[in-house]
Amino acid sequence: MSVKYVPVIWNRTKLAYDAVVLATVGAYLGIYLYVAPQFQTVTMPIDWDIYKAQAFGTCVFFLLTFILCIGPMARLDKRFLPLLYNRRHLGVITCVLAYFHVDNILGWYNAFSPINRYVSVFIVNTSFDRFLGFPFEILGVLALLILTILAVTSHDFWLHFLKPTLWKFLHMGIYLAYALIVAHVALGALQSAAGPFMTTAVGASVALVAALHLLVARKEHLFDTQESPMDDSGTWMDAGDPTEVPDKRARIISITDDERVAIFRNGKKLSAISNVCAHQNGPLGEGKIVYGCVTCPWHGYQYRVEDGRSPPPFTEKISTYRLKLEDGRLWLNIEALPPGTYVEPVVAPILAEGS
Amino acid sequence: MAKKKPDPFFIGWAKKPPKVLQGFLFLISAVLVGAAVGVALGIGASVPDPGDARFEWGAGYQTFTGYVDAKPYPLLRLPAGEDGRDQPHAMLISGIGKRGMQQLAGPLDGQAVDAGGILLKRGDLDMLQVGGDVSLRAAENPIPNFTPAPAEHLGKWRLSGEICDGKCYTGAMRPGVGLAHKACANLCIIGGIPPVFVTTTPLMGSQFFLLADENGEPLSSEVQDWVALLISLEGEVERRDDLMIFKVNLDSAKQL
Repeated sequence: MSVKYVPVIWNRTKLAYDAVVLATVGAYLGIYLYVAPQFQTVTMPIDWDIYKAQAFGTCVFFLLTFILCIGPMARLDKRFLPLLYNRRHLGVITCVLAYFHVDNILGWYNAFSPINRYVSVFIVNTSFDRFLGFPFEILGVLALLILTILAVTSHDFWLHFLKPTLWKFLHMGIYLAYALIVAHVALGALQSAAGPFMTTAVGASVALVAALHLLVARKEHLFDTQESPMDDSGTWMDAGDPTEVPDKRARIISITDDERVAIFRNGKKLSAISNVCAHQNGPLGEGKIVYGCVTCPWHGYQYRVEDGRSPPPFTEKISTYRLKLEDGRLWLNIEALPPGTYVEPVVAPILAEGS
Repeated sequence: MAKKKPDPFFIGWAKKPPKVLQGFLFLISAVLVGAAVGVALGIGASVPDPGDARFEWGAGYQTFTGYVDAKPYPLLRLPAGEDGRDQPHAMLISGIGKRGMQQLAGPLDGQAVDAGGILLKRGDLDMLQVGGDVSLRAAENPIPNFTPAPAEHLGKWRLSGEICDGKCYTGAMRPGVGLAHKACANLCIIGGIPPVFVTTTPLMGSQFFLLADENGEPLSSEVQDWVALLISLEGEVERRDDLMIFKVNLDSAKQL
């Protein structure tokens, strides 16, 4: 969290994160470029520029695969949440590597010709009516354009400028970029320049991304279709037994398909806030009360549980909801209050501190 | 008193991740680096063999004397012995980079020439990248008693294979075939490099055919749509010295 814009707010976690990412990328490129050739069974080596393009291109593909796996992995197992924290740096590194891939391609395949190498990408293959033979380079160009937009707008300045909903929508473009890259690889490299290992690895990567997302979608669907009884007025929803809400943690209640509420317990007090973090729509209900504030599991944004406001000097605020306790059961008023509205917590004497 | 169950919670801006997560994060980091090593080794070590296509830089600048055929694409017709072969040889020629030799070869069509440059080789195939001092010029000392043999007509055939550019396939790039190389091949063909047809099975011992249209002229730009695909083509085959020429109608092309 920050109240001013700086290029990167470095902290120990980000440094460690980036160190691991750079070690992974360095290991991949180092082994690909300098060790793997010792094990090739080729009459003569592949041209260095083409080989470098393959190394960078495949690295980009696997990094993107990993990026897309982080979200669902963190939904399925909270231990993966730290991978999500600095995912933007991973995205920017991926974009930079994609430019190295392009530079090697343009400097070799598209070079040595009277036609400008940048222009040639768009004019030398126009078989748009074919499947095999389709100008797969254009797919790569579109993916690069998306990756560039995402990298440029990855800073929190753009998040605040565009507002979280639009920013999030824009950054869902990563899926389109991945689809374009899969098609780019399938219609290009896999048709001639790849060995069986790469074909298998690409197929397994796509299957992994699809399987993880389907698993999460199923989990979310099952959660959203759980029906909680309403009272006669239709405004209060049964939120269950308060003793089942763990201390400092929350129970998430689904009001509609796209609205969830997090009921937090802080000792004997219970409060309800929106489940959606104002920063990047992170699932606040999967967070924890730390230093008296609800802390988002994604990037650590904090909110006071009683009024949904970030502690000063921060200005973020989210909706709050009213709760009531009747006959030992907790009831949630499904009408969201304006963001930042103070609501007196419900005190449940039955709850013991720290239980 | 019951021991409180640990409830680790990661906060990015905190000084350290919770202790119970540190081992897991270390394990994930090790798995990531290990996977990177394994995948890079697996993919890098299993690349398909691009063949022995190469520039013969080690042989240095070479000059040849023979005749030039400008159509369908510039060829050198060399007498036996001129390049170490015991039979007359028809050698493809190209300019530097992705440029053909039509401009220089056209006015010299059918004449004795000297040609100098760097050889490209792939097995028995070769091409001369013309340049340097000699370049392509009327022969200073034509080889006496040598006239190229007329083309031998070998009938009509339907052949299966891939259209490549003659220069990358012969040695300018490894790999110089396949869809990943299509844009490069098209740039070569646009620049005047001869398109060639590399067949899946040999015809009379040859899998390498210089392409021409039905009239023996250069192919139209339509050929670019068929480059790098596995296709079949129908046309007349003729032989000039040891080089097969496949005179095709691109309307006969079928993707396989």
